[in-house]
Amino acid sequence: MAHDALALRRARRALAPYLLLAPALVLVAVFLFGVVNGLLQGFGIMPFLGMTTFTLDYWAQVLTRPDLVESVGFSLYLALVSSLMALLGGIGLAAALVAVRQTRLAALIDVQIPLMCAHILVVLFMVSLFAGSGLVPRILSGLGLVQGPADFPSIVGAPSGWGIIAVYVWKEVPFVAFCTVTLMDHVSDRFGEAAATAGASPVRAFLSVTLPLCRGALAKAFLVVFAFAFGAYEVPFLLGPTLPKALPVLAYLEFQNPDILNRCVAMALNGVMAVVTSAAAIGYFAVLKREGRAR
Amino acid sequence: MSARRRGGARWAARALVALQGLCVLAPLAVVVLWSVTASWPWPALLPESWSARGIEELFGPGRDTGSVLAGSIALALACALLTTVVATLAARALSRYRFRGREAVRFAVLLPFLIPSTVFAMGVQVAFLRAGLAGTAAGVVLAHAIVALPYAALIMMDALDAVGTRLEEQARLCGAGAVRTWIHVTVPLLLPAMLSAASMAYIMSFSQYFITLLIGAGKVKTLALVMFPYLSSGDRTIASAYGVVFLGATLLVFFLFEVLLRKRTAQEIDYFEG
Repeated sequence: MAHDALALRRARRALAPYLLLAPALVLVAVFLFGVVNGLLQGFGIMPFLGMTTFTLDYWAQVLTRPDLVESVGFSLYLALVSSLMALLGGIGLAAALVAVRQTRLAALIDVQIPLMCAHILVVLFMVSLFAGSGLVPRILSGLGLVQGPADFPSIVGAPSGWGIIAVYVWKEVPFVAFCTVTLMDHVSDRFGEAAATAGASPVRAFLSVTLPLCRGALAKAFLVVFAFAFGAYEVPFLLGPTLPKALPVLAYLEFQNPDILNRCVAMALNGVMAVVTSAAAIGYFAVLKREGRAR
Repeated sequence: MSARRRGGARWAARALVALQGLCVLAPLAVVVLWSVTASWPWPALLPESWSARGIEELFGPGRDTGSVLAGSIALALACALLTTVVATLAARALSRYRFRGREAVRFAVLLPFLIPSTVFAMGVQVAFLRAGLAGTAAGVVLAHAIVALPYAALIMMDALDAVGTRLEEQARLCGAGAVRTWIHVTVPLLLPAMLSAASMAYIMSFSQYFITLLIGAGKVKTLALVMFPYLSSGDRTIASAYGVVFLGATLLVFFLFEVLLRKRTAQEIDYFEG
Protein backbone atom coordinates (compact mmCIF):
# COMPACT_ATOMS: atom_id res chain seq x y z
CA MET A 1 0.00 0.00 0.00
CA ALA A 2 2.63 2.49 1.13
CA HIS A 3 4.68 1.54 -1.87
CA ASP A 4 1.74 2.26 -4.18
CA ALA A 5 1.15 5.68 -2.62
CA LEU A 6 4.80 6.53 -3.08
CA ALA A 7 4.75 5.42 -6.70
CA LEU A 8 1.62 7.48 -7.29
CA ARG A 9 3.20 10.57 -5.80
CA ARG A 10 6.29 10.05 -7.88
CA ALA A 11 4.19 9.70 -11.03
CA ARG A 12 2.25 12.83 -10.16
CA ARG A 13 5.46 14.72 -9.56
CA ALA A 14 6.82 13.57 -12.92
CA LEU A 15 3.62 14.56 -14.70
CA ALA A 16 3.05 17.91 -12.94
CA PRO A 17 5.41 20.08 -15.02
CA TYR A 18 3.84 18.90 -18.25
CA LEU A 19 0.33 19.66 -16.98
CA LEU A 20 1.43 23.11 -15.81
CA LEU A 21 3.02 23.74 -19.20
CA ALA A 22 0.09 22.49 -21.28
CA PRO A 23 -1.63 25.87 -21.83
CA ALA A 24 1.67 27.58 -22.67
CA LEU A 25 2.52 24.76 -25.07
CA VAL A 26 -0.78 25.33 -26.88
CA LEU A 27 0.15 29.00 -27.43
CA VAL A 28 3.69 28.05 -28.46
CA ALA A 29 2.30 25.43 -30.85
CA VAL A 30 0.03 27.98 -32.55
CA PHE A 31 3.00 30.33 -32.88
CA LEU A 32 5.24 27.65 -34.38
CA PHE A 33 2.44 26.44 -36.62
CA GLY A 34 2.02 29.95 -37.99
CA VAL A 35 5.71 30.49 -38.54
CA VAL A 36 6.34 27.06 -40.14
CA ASN A 37 3.19 27.27 -42.24
CA GLY A 38 4.28 30.67 -43.52
CA LEU A 39 7.79 29.52 -44.29
CA LEU A 40 6.45 26.46 -46.14
CA GLN A 41 4.29 28.74 -48.29
CA GLY A 42 7.56 30.38 -49.28
CA PHE A 43 8.51 27.02 -50.80
CA GLY A 44 5.23 26.85 -52.72
CA ILE A 45 3.46 24.52 -50.30
CA MET A 46 -0.13 25.71 -49.84
CA PRO A 47 -2.27 22.64 -49.12
CA PHE A 48 -5.46 24.73 -48.93
CA LEU A 49 -4.98 25.49 -52.64
CA GLY A 50 -3.93 21.95 -53.44
CA MET A 51 -0.29 22.97 -53.90
CA THR A 52 1.96 20.41 -52.27
CA THR A 53 5.09 20.39 -54.44
CA PHE A 54 8.25 21.79 -52.92
CA THR A 55 9.85 24.44 -55.10
CA LEU A 56 12.68 26.93 -54.74
CA ASP A 57 11.23 29.15 -57.50
CA TYR A 58 9.87 31.80 -55.13
CA TRP A 59 13.07 31.99 -53.11
CA ALA A 60 15.02 32.29 -56.38
CA GLN A 61 12.63 35.02 -57.51
CA VAL A 62 13.01 36.88 -54.23
CA LEU A 63 16.77 36.53 -53.96
CA THR A 64 17.33 37.87 -57.46
CA ARG A 65 14.95 40.82 -57.34
CA PRO A 66 16.81 44.11 -57.60
CA ASP A 67 15.25 45.75 -54.55
CA LEU A 68 15.98 42.91 -52.11
CA VAL A 69 19.57 43.80 -51.25
CA GLU A 70 18.60 47.38 -50.60
CA SER A 71 15.63 46.39 -48.46
CA VAL A 72 17.62 43.93 -46.37
CA GLY A 73 20.39 46.50 -46.05
CA PHE A 74 17.96 49.24 -45.01
CA SER A 75 16.30 47.03 -42.39
CA LEU A 76 19.66 45.84 -41.07
CA TYR A 77 20.85 49.44 -40.86
CA LEU A 78 17.69 50.58 -39.02
CA ALA A 79 17.85 47.67 -36.58
CA LEU A 80 21.60 47.92 -35.92
CA VAL A 81 21.71 51.68 -35.43
CA SER A 82 18.55 51.69 -33.28
CA SER A 83 19.63 48.81 -31.08
CA LEU A 84 23.20 50.09 -30.63
CA MET A 85 21.93 53.53 -29.66
CA ALA A 86 19.33 51.95 -27.37
CA LEU A 87 22.06 49.84 -25.78
CA LEU A 88 24.38 52.79 -25.09
CA GLY A 89 21.55 55.05 -23.92
CA GLY A 90 20.05 52.26 -21.83
CA ILE A 91 23.36 51.59 -20.08
CA GLY A 92 23.71 55.29 -19.32
CA LEU A 93 20.15 55.60 -18.08
CA ALA A 94 20.35 52.49 -15.90
CA ALA A 95 23.65 53.63 -14.40
CA ALA A 96 22.21 57.09 -13.72
CA LEU A 97 19.10 55.63 -12.09
CA VAL A 98 21.27 53.42 -9.88
CA ALA A 99 23.51 56.36 -8.94
CA VAL A 100 20.60 58.60 -7.91
CA ARG A 101 19.09 55.66 -5.96
CA GLN A 102 16.16 55.72 -8.38
CA THR A 103 13.22 57.36 -6.72
CA ARG A 104 9.77 56.09 -7.65
CA LEU A 105 8.97 59.22 -9.63
CA ALA A 106 12.18 59.07 -11.69
CA ALA A 107 11.61 55.40 -12.47
CA LEU A 108 8.00 56.11 -13.43
CA ILE A 109 8.76 58.98 -15.79
CA ASP A 110 12.09 57.81 -17.20
CA VAL A 111 11.29 54.14 -17.69
CA GLN A 112 7.73 53.07 -17.06
CA ILE A 113 5.88 55.69 -19.12
CA PRO A 114 7.97 54.99 -22.27
CA LEU A 115 7.49 51.24 -21.71
CA MET A 116 3.73 51.81 -21.68
CA CYS A 117 3.58 53.89 -24.85
CA ALA A 118 2.76 51.95 -28.02
CA HIS A 119 5.21 52.29 -30.90
CA ILE A 120 2.51 53.89 -33.05
CA LEU A 121 1.92 56.48 -30.32
CA VAL A 122 5.64 57.24 -30.27
CA VAL A 123 5.42 57.89 -34.04
CA LEU A 124 2.92 60.63 -33.19
CA PHE A 125 5.26 61.93 -30.47
CA MET A 126 8.24 62.17 -32.81
CA VAL A 127 6.15 63.78 -35.55
CA SER A 128 4.90 66.34 -33.01
CA LEU A 129 8.48 67.14 -32.03
CA PHE A 130 10.30 67.00 -35.35
CA ALA A 131 7.87 67.56 -38.25
CA GLY A 132 8.04 70.95 -39.96
CA SER A 133 5.36 72.33 -37.63
CA GLY A 134 6.77 70.49 -34.61
CA LEU A 135 8.28 71.91 -31.45
CA VAL A 136 11.98 71.43 -32.27
CA PRO A 137 11.97 73.41 -35.56
CA ARG A 138 10.03 76.15 -33.75
CA ILE A 139 12.66 76.32 -31.02
CA LEU A 140 15.47 76.28 -33.60
CA SER A 141 13.77 79.10 -35.47
CA GLY A 142 13.56 81.06 -32.21
CA LEU A 143 17.33 80.61 -31.97
CA GLY A 144 17.68 81.79 -35.54
CA LEU A 145 18.95 78.44 -36.83
CA VAL A 146 16.00 77.62 -39.08
CA GLN A 147 14.17 80.06 -41.38
CA GLY A 148 10.85 78.33 -42.09
CA PRO A 149 9.08 74.98 -41.49
CA ALA A 150 10.39 73.67 -44.82
CA ASP A 151 14.02 74.24 -43.81
CA PHE A 152 14.03 71.42 -41.28
CA PRO A 153 14.74 67.94 -42.73
CA SER A 154 11.46 66.02 -43.12
CA ILE A 155 10.86 63.26 -40.57
CA VAL A 156 8.44 61.39 -42.86
CA GLY A 157 10.04 59.57 -45.77
CA ALA A 158 13.63 60.59 -45.09
CA PRO A 159 16.00 58.19 -46.91
CA SER A 160 18.21 58.09 -43.80
CA GLY A 161 15.24 56.82 -41.77
CA TRP A 162 16.19 59.10 -38.90
CA GLY A 163 12.58 59.38 -37.76
CA ILE A 164 12.26 55.59 -37.50
CA ILE A 165 15.48 55.44 -35.50
CA ALA A 166 14.27 58.26 -33.24
CA VAL A 167 11.08 56.30 -32.47
CA TYR A 168 13.00 53.12 -31.63
CA VAL A 169 15.59 54.96 -29.52
CA TRP A 170 12.91 56.82 -27.54
CA LYS A 171 11.10 53.57 -26.92
CA GLU A 172 13.99 51.14 -26.38
CA VAL A 173 16.50 53.13 -24.28
CA PRO A 174 14.09 52.76 -21.33
CA PHE A 175 13.52 49.11 -22.28
CA VAL A 176 17.25 48.32 -22.07
CA ALA A 177 17.42 50.24 -18.78
CA PHE A 178 14.39 48.30 -17.49
CA CYS A 179 16.06 44.98 -18.36
CA THR A 180 19.29 45.83 -16.56
CA VAL A 181 18.61 48.31 -13.75
CA THR A 182 17.75 45.75 -11.05
CA LEU A 183 20.81 43.64 -11.77
CA MET A 184 23.02 46.72 -12.04
CA ASP A 185 21.77 48.03 -8.70
CA HIS A 186 22.50 44.69 -7.08
CA VAL A 187 25.96 44.36 -8.66
CA SER A 188 27.06 47.91 -7.86
CA ASP A 189 25.82 47.48 -4.29
CA ARG A 190 27.88 44.34 -3.77
CA PHE A 191 30.96 44.86 -5.91
CA GLY A 192 30.97 48.54 -6.80
CA GLU A 193 31.42 49.51 -3.16
CA ALA A 194 34.32 47.10 -2.87
CA ALA A 195 35.96 48.54 -5.97
CA ALA A 196 35.46 52.08 -4.64
CA THR A 197 36.96 51.12 -1.31
CA ALA A 198 39.93 49.66 -3.18
CA GLY A 199 40.42 53.11 -4.69
CA ALA A 200 38.72 52.84 -8.09
CA SER A 201 36.97 55.94 -9.37
CA PRO A 202 33.19 55.56 -9.85
CA VAL A 203 33.59 55.52 -13.63
CA ARG A 204 36.38 52.95 -13.50
CA ALA A 205 34.46 50.78 -11.01
CA PHE A 206 31.46 50.93 -13.33
CA LEU A 207 33.40 50.08 -16.49
CA SER A 208 35.56 47.31 -15.07
CA VAL A 209 33.24 45.70 -12.51
CA THR A 210 29.56 46.54 -12.92
CA LEU A 211 29.34 46.54 -16.71
CA PRO A 212 31.04 43.16 -17.33
CA LEU A 213 28.79 41.52 -14.76
CA CYS A 214 25.71 42.91 -16.54
CA ARG A 215 26.91 41.74 -19.95
CA GLY A 216 24.47 38.83 -20.20
CA ALA A 217 21.38 40.93 -19.46
CA LEU A 218 22.59 43.65 -21.83
CA ALA A 219 23.17 41.13 -24.64
CA LYS A 220 19.66 39.74 -24.20
CA ALA A 221 18.07 43.19 -24.26
CA PHE A 222 20.12 44.12 -27.35
CA LEU A 223 18.99 41.00 -29.18
CA VAL A 224 15.32 41.59 -28.37
CA VAL A 225 15.53 45.20 -29.57
CA PHE A 226 17.43 44.21 -32.73
CA ALA A 227 14.95 41.48 -33.69
CA PHE A 228 12.02 43.78 -33.01
CA ALA A 229 13.37 46.74 -34.97
CA PHE A 230 14.31 44.43 -37.84
CA GLY A 231 10.90 42.78 -38.11
CA ALA A 232 8.34 45.42 -37.11
CA TYR A 233 5.99 46.84 -39.70
CA GLU A 234 4.25 49.89 -38.22
CA VAL A 235 7.07 52.39 -37.75
CA PRO A 236 8.86 51.99 -41.12
CA PHE A 237 5.47 51.93 -42.86
CA LEU A 238 4.47 55.26 -41.32
CA LEU A 239 7.82 57.06 -41.44
CA GLY A 240 9.94 55.21 -44.00
CA PRO A 241 10.90 56.39 -47.50
CA THR A 242 9.20 55.03 -50.63
CA LEU A 243 12.46 53.36 -51.62
CA PRO A 244 14.12 51.37 -50.23
CA LYS A 245 11.31 49.79 -48.27
CA ALA A 246 12.02 48.06 -44.96
CA LEU A 247 11.77 44.27 -45.37
CA PRO A 248 8.52 43.81 -43.37
CA VAL A 249 6.87 46.62 -45.35
CA LEU A 250 7.94 44.99 -48.62
CA ALA A 251 6.71 41.57 -47.45
CA TYR A 252 3.29 42.88 -46.44
CA LEU A 253 2.96 44.74 -49.74
CA GLU A 254 3.49 41.46 -51.60
CA PHE A 255 1.16 39.69 -49.14
CA GLN A 256 -1.67 42.11 -50.00
CA ASN A 257 -1.44 41.42 -53.74
CA PRO A 258 -4.85 40.09 -54.87
CA ASP A 259 -3.14 37.21 -56.69
CA ILE A 260 -2.94 34.60 -53.94
CA LEU A 261 0.08 32.93 -55.57
CA ASN A 262 1.97 36.11 -54.74
CA ARG A 263 1.75 35.06 -51.10
CA CYS A 264 4.57 32.64 -51.80
CA VAL A 265 6.78 35.62 -52.67
CA ALA A 266 5.75 37.40 -49.46
CA MET A 267 6.49 34.29 -47.43
CA ALA A 268 9.91 33.88 -49.04
CA LEU A 269 10.64 37.47 -47.97
CA ASN A 270 9.48 36.52 -44.47
CA GLY A 271 11.86 33.59 -44.72
CA VAL A 272 14.73 36.00 -45.41
CA MET A 273 13.65 37.93 -42.31
CA ALA A 274 13.57 34.78 -40.19
CA VAL A 275 17.04 33.79 -41.45
CA VAL A 276 18.49 37.15 -40.37
CA THR A 277 16.93 37.14 -36.89
CA SER A 278 17.89 33.48 -36.39
CA ALA A 279 21.47 34.28 -37.36
CA ALA A 280 21.47 37.06 -34.76
CA ALA A 281 20.10 34.63 -32.17
CA ILE A 282 22.70 31.98 -33.00
CA GLY A 283 25.43 34.58 -32.66
CA TYR A 284 24.01 35.51 -29.29
CA PHE A 285 23.99 31.92 -28.03
CA ALA A 286 27.52 31.41 -29.30
CA VAL A 287 28.65 34.42 -27.27
CA LEU A 288 26.78 33.17 -24.19
CA LYS A 289 28.35 29.72 -24.49
CA ARG A 290 31.85 31.08 -24.88
CA GLU A 291 31.32 33.26 -21.83
CA GLY A 292 29.97 30.31 -19.86
CA ARG A 293 33.13 28.35 -20.65
CA ALA A 294 35.39 31.28 -19.82
CA ARG A 295 33.95 31.49 -16.34
CA MET B 1 39.77 64.01 -4.42
CA SER B 2 37.75 60.84 -4.49
CA ALA B 3 34.80 62.46 -2.74
CA ARG B 4 34.82 65.26 -5.29
CA ARG B 5 34.93 62.79 -8.16
CA ARG B 6 32.07 60.88 -6.69
CA GLY B 7 30.11 64.09 -6.24
CA GLY B 8 30.72 64.86 -9.91
CA ALA B 9 29.46 61.46 -10.96
CA ARG B 10 26.33 61.85 -8.87
CA TRP B 11 25.70 65.27 -10.38
CA ALA B 12 26.08 63.86 -13.90
CA ALA B 13 23.68 61.04 -13.03
CA ARG B 14 21.08 63.52 -11.78
CA ALA B 15 21.44 65.56 -14.96
CA LEU B 16 20.99 62.43 -17.12
CA VAL B 17 17.87 61.34 -15.22
CA ALA B 18 16.42 64.85 -15.59
CA LEU B 19 17.29 64.95 -19.31
CA GLN B 20 15.55 61.62 -19.89
CA GLY B 21 12.53 62.93 -17.99
CA LEU B 22 12.44 65.92 -20.32
CA CYS B 23 12.73 63.70 -23.43
CA VAL B 24 9.78 61.64 -22.18
CA LEU B 25 7.50 64.42 -21.02
CA ALA B 26 8.10 66.99 -23.80
CA PRO B 27 6.39 65.03 -26.60
CA LEU B 28 3.54 64.05 -24.26
CA ALA B 29 2.97 67.72 -23.47
CA VAL B 30 3.10 68.72 -27.16
CA VAL B 31 0.52 66.07 -28.08
CA VAL B 32 -1.79 67.17 -25.25
CA LEU B 33 -1.45 70.79 -26.40
CA TRP B 34 -2.16 69.91 -30.05
CA SER B 35 -5.29 67.97 -29.08
CA VAL B 36 -6.96 71.17 -27.81
CA THR B 37 -5.45 73.58 -30.33
CA ALA B 38 -7.50 75.68 -32.73
CA SER B 39 -4.54 77.42 -34.33
CA TRP B 40 -0.82 77.24 -33.71
CA PRO B 41 0.92 79.43 -36.30
CA TRP B 42 4.63 79.05 -37.09
CA PRO B 43 6.95 79.80 -35.24
CA ALA B 44 5.05 80.45 -31.99
CA LEU B 45 6.10 78.16 -29.15
CA LEU B 46 2.56 77.93 -27.77
CA PRO B 47 -0.81 77.62 -29.54
CA GLU B 48 -2.61 80.86 -30.28
CA SER B 49 -6.19 79.71 -29.67
CA TRP B 50 -7.85 76.64 -28.22
CA SER B 51 -10.78 74.44 -29.16
CA ALA B 52 -12.44 71.16 -28.20
CA ARG B 53 -12.82 70.23 -31.89
CA GLY B 54 -10.55 67.18 -31.64
CA ILE B 55 -12.41 65.55 -28.77
CA GLU B 56 -15.78 66.53 -30.29
CA GLU B 57 -14.90 64.91 -33.61
CA LEU B 58 -13.82 61.72 -31.85
CA PHE B 59 -16.82 61.33 -29.57
CA GLY B 60 -19.42 63.38 -31.47
CA PRO B 61 -22.64 61.92 -32.88
CA GLY B 62 -22.15 59.26 -35.51
CA ARG B 63 -18.66 58.37 -34.26
CA ASP B 64 -17.98 55.07 -32.53
CA THR B 65 -14.76 55.97 -30.72
CA GLY B 66 -16.37 55.27 -27.35
CA SER B 67 -17.36 51.73 -28.21
CA VAL B 68 -14.07 51.07 -30.02
CA LEU B 69 -12.22 52.22 -26.91
CA ALA B 70 -14.34 50.03 -24.62
CA GLY B 71 -13.79 47.09 -26.98
CA SER B 72 -10.01 47.59 -27.04
CA ILE B 73 -9.86 47.75 -23.25
CA ALA B 74 -11.97 44.60 -22.89
CA LEU B 75 -9.79 42.79 -25.44
CA ALA B 76 -6.59 43.84 -23.69
CA LEU B 77 -7.95 42.84 -20.26
CA ALA B 78 -8.89 39.41 -21.63
CA CYS B 79 -5.40 39.06 -23.08
CA ALA B 80 -3.85 40.14 -19.76
CA LEU B 81 -5.86 37.55 -17.82
CA LEU B 82 -5.14 34.71 -20.25
CA THR B 83 -1.44 35.54 -20.58
CA THR B 84 -0.87 35.92 -16.85
CA VAL B 85 -2.51 32.62 -15.96
CA VAL B 86 -0.66 30.74 -18.70
CA ALA B 87 2.66 32.41 -17.87
CA THR B 88 2.35 31.76 -14.12
CA LEU B 89 1.66 28.05 -14.62
CA ALA B 90 4.45 27.71 -17.18
CA ALA B 91 6.92 29.64 -15.02
CA ARG B 92 6.17 27.36 -12.09
CA ALA B 93 6.95 24.31 -14.20
CA LEU B 94 10.11 25.87 -15.62
CA SER B 95 11.59 27.16 -12.38
CA ARG B 96 10.46 24.50 -9.86
CA TYR B 97 10.78 21.22 -11.75
CA ARG B 98 13.60 19.40 -13.49
CA PHE B 99 12.21 17.45 -16.40
CA ARG B 100 13.07 16.23 -19.87
CA GLY B 101 12.88 18.93 -22.51
CA ARG B 102 12.95 21.78 -19.99
CA GLU B 103 15.52 23.82 -21.88
CA ALA B 104 13.72 23.26 -25.20
CA VAL B 105 10.40 24.40 -23.74
CA ARG B 106 12.03 27.45 -22.18
CA PHE B 107 13.54 28.35 -25.54
CA ALA B 108 10.24 27.81 -27.35
CA VAL B 109 8.32 30.02 -24.91
CA LEU B 110 10.82 32.83 -25.51
CA LEU B 111 10.92 32.31 -29.31
CA PRO B 112 8.48 35.17 -30.12
CA PHE B 113 11.24 37.51 -28.93
CA LEU B 114 13.36 36.38 -31.87
CA ILE B 115 10.97 35.67 -34.72
CA PRO B 116 9.19 38.86 -35.79
CA SER B 117 5.46 38.90 -35.14
CA THR B 118 4.95 39.99 -38.76
CA VAL B 119 6.27 36.57 -39.88
CA PHE B 120 3.92 34.83 -37.44
CA ALA B 121 0.86 36.94 -38.33
CA MET B 122 1.17 36.51 -42.11
CA GLY B 123 1.92 32.80 -41.73
CA VAL B 124 -0.96 32.01 -39.42
CA GLN B 125 -3.61 34.12 -41.16
CA VAL B 126 -4.93 31.37 -43.44
CA ALA B 127 -5.08 28.88 -40.56
CA PHE B 128 -7.05 31.34 -38.43
CA LEU B 129 -9.43 31.97 -41.34
CA ARG B 130 -10.01 28.24 -41.81
CA ALA B 131 -10.46 27.65 -38.07
CA GLY B 132 -13.07 30.41 -37.93
CA LEU B 133 -10.91 32.43 -35.53
CA ALA B 134 -10.11 35.27 -37.93
CA GLY B 135 -12.33 38.30 -37.45
CA THR B 136 -13.32 37.20 -33.94
CA ALA B 137 -12.34 38.77 -30.64
CA ALA B 138 -11.28 35.31 -29.37
CA GLY B 139 -8.86 34.89 -32.27
CA VAL B 140 -7.34 38.32 -31.70
CA VAL B 141 -6.96 37.69 -27.95
CA LEU B 142 -5.25 34.37 -28.69
CA ALA B 143 -2.83 35.97 -31.17
CA HIS B 144 -2.05 38.83 -28.77
CA ALA B 145 -1.47 36.40 -25.88
CA ILE B 146 1.05 34.48 -28.01
CA VAL B 147 3.28 37.54 -28.47
CA ALA B 148 2.76 38.75 -24.87
CA LEU B 149 3.62 35.35 -23.35
CA PRO B 150 7.43 35.63 -23.41
CA TYR B 151 7.37 38.96 -21.53
CA ALA B 152 4.94 37.65 -18.90
CA ALA B 153 6.80 34.34 -18.59
CA LEU B 154 10.13 36.10 -17.98
CA ILE B 155 8.57 38.29 -15.27
CA MET B 156 7.02 35.26 -13.58
CA MET B 157 10.18 33.12 -13.78
CA ASP B 158 12.23 35.92 -12.19
CA ALA B 159 9.61 36.34 -9.48
CA LEU B 160 9.51 32.63 -8.66
CA ASP B 161 13.29 32.54 -8.40
CA ALA B 162 13.28 35.61 -6.16
CA VAL B 163 10.53 34.29 -3.89
CA GLY B 164 12.40 31.02 -3.41
CA THR B 165 11.02 27.86 -1.83
CA ARG B 166 11.57 28.59 1.87
CA LEU B 167 8.04 29.67 2.79
CA GLU B 168 6.50 26.95 0.63
CA GLU B 169 8.59 24.33 2.41
CA GLN B 170 7.55 25.67 5.80
CA ALA B 171 3.89 25.46 4.84
CA ARG B 172 4.37 21.89 3.62
CA LEU B 173 6.17 20.98 6.86
CA CYS B 174 3.22 22.40 8.80
CA GLY B 175 1.04 19.91 6.96
CA ALA B 176 -0.50 21.98 4.16
CA GLY B 177 -1.08 20.10 0.92
CA ALA B 178 0.44 21.17 -2.39
CA VAL B 179 -2.71 22.93 -3.59
CA ARG B 180 -3.30 24.72 -0.28
CA THR B 181 0.32 25.83 -0.15
CA TRP B 182 0.04 27.16 -3.68
CA ILE B 183 -3.16 29.10 -2.96
CA HIS B 184 -2.31 30.45 0.50
CA VAL B 185 1.45 30.93 0.30
CA THR B 186 2.84 31.05 -3.22
CA VAL B 187 0.13 32.98 -5.04
CA PRO B 188 0.00 35.82 -2.48
CA LEU B 189 3.79 36.09 -2.69
CA LEU B 190 3.61 36.16 -6.48
CA LEU B 191 0.74 38.61 -6.74
CA PRO B 192 2.89 41.72 -7.33
CA ALA B 193 4.68 39.95 -10.19
CA MET B 194 1.38 38.66 -11.57
CA LEU B 195 0.06 42.21 -11.62
CA SER B 196 3.12 43.48 -13.48
CA ALA B 197 2.89 40.56 -15.94
CA ALA B 198 -0.78 41.40 -16.46
CA SER B 199 -0.05 45.06 -16.99
CA MET B 200 2.69 44.18 -19.51
CA ALA B 201 0.30 41.89 -21.42
CA TYR B 202 -2.42 44.55 -21.32
CA ILE B 203 -0.05 47.07 -22.87
CA MET B 204 1.17 44.59 -25.50
CA SER B 205 -2.40 43.87 -26.57
CA PHE B 206 -3.60 47.47 -26.47
CA SER B 207 -0.58 48.61 -28.54
CA GLN B 208 -0.78 45.90 -31.20
CA TYR B 209 -1.48 47.03 -34.76
CA PHE B 210 -0.24 44.53 -37.33
CA ILE B 211 -1.52 41.35 -35.67
CA THR B 212 -4.93 42.90 -35.04
CA LEU B 213 -5.06 44.05 -38.66
CA LEU B 214 -4.38 40.55 -40.03
CA ILE B 215 -6.24 38.38 -37.53
CA GLY B 216 -9.08 40.85 -36.91
CA ALA B 217 -9.73 40.85 -40.68
CA GLY B 218 -11.39 44.28 -40.51
CA LYS B 219 -14.10 43.01 -38.17
CA VAL B 220 -12.30 43.56 -34.87
CA LYS B 221 -11.69 47.28 -34.52
CA THR B 222 -9.30 48.55 -31.88
CA LEU B 223 -8.23 52.08 -31.05
CA ALA B 224 -4.75 51.36 -32.46
CA LEU B 225 -6.30 50.38 -35.82
CA VAL B 226 -8.62 53.40 -35.92
CA MET B 227 -5.96 55.98 -35.08
CA PHE B 228 -3.25 54.50 -37.33
CA PRO B 229 -4.09 56.41 -40.55
CA TYR B 230 -3.97 59.78 -38.76
CA LEU B 231 -0.59 59.38 -37.13
CA SER B 232 2.00 60.63 -39.56
CA SER B 233 -0.06 62.93 -41.74
CA GLY B 234 -3.28 64.87 -41.97
CA ASP B 235 -5.12 66.74 -39.26
CA ARG B 236 -2.75 67.17 -36.30
CA THR B 237 -5.55 68.07 -33.88
CA ILE B 238 -7.51 64.85 -34.61
CA ALA B 239 -4.36 62.71 -34.48
CA SER B 240 -3.37 64.25 -31.15
CA ALA B 241 -6.88 63.81 -29.74
CA TYR B 242 -6.60 60.09 -30.60
CA GLY B 243 -3.16 60.10 -29.02
CA VAL B 244 -4.45 61.60 -25.78
CA VAL B 245 -7.32 59.09 -25.55
CA PHE B 246 -4.89 56.23 -26.30
CA LEU B 247 -2.39 57.45 -23.72
CA GLY B 248 -5.15 58.03 -21.18
CA ALA B 249 -6.49 54.49 -21.54
CA THR B 250 -2.98 53.04 -21.13
CA LEU B 251 -2.10 55.13 -18.08
CA LEU B 252 -5.50 54.63 -16.45
CA VAL B 253 -5.23 50.86 -16.47
CA PHE B 254 -1.59 50.99 -15.40
CA PHE B 255 -2.45 53.09 -12.35
CA LEU B 256 -5.38 50.80 -11.59
CA PHE B 257 -2.94 47.89 -11.45
CA GLU B 258 -0.57 49.99 -9.30
CA VAL B 259 -3.35 50.80 -6.82
CA LEU B 260 -4.30 47.12 -6.60
CA LEU B 261 -0.64 46.31 -5.98
CA ARG B 262 -0.26 48.93 -3.23
CA LYS B 263 -3.40 47.70 -1.50
CA ARG B 264 -2.11 44.18 -1.67
CA THR B 265 1.33 45.09 -0.29
CA ALA B 266 -0.24 47.11 2.55
CA GLN B 267 -2.39 44.12 3.49
CA GLU B 268 0.58 41.82 3.47
CA ILE B 269 2.50 44.01 5.88
CA ASP B 270 -0.51 43.98 8.21
CA TYR B 271 -0.66 40.25 7.86
CA PHE B 272 2.95 39.67 8.84
CA GLU B 273 3.28 42.33 11.53
CA GLY B 274 -0.23 42.67 12.89
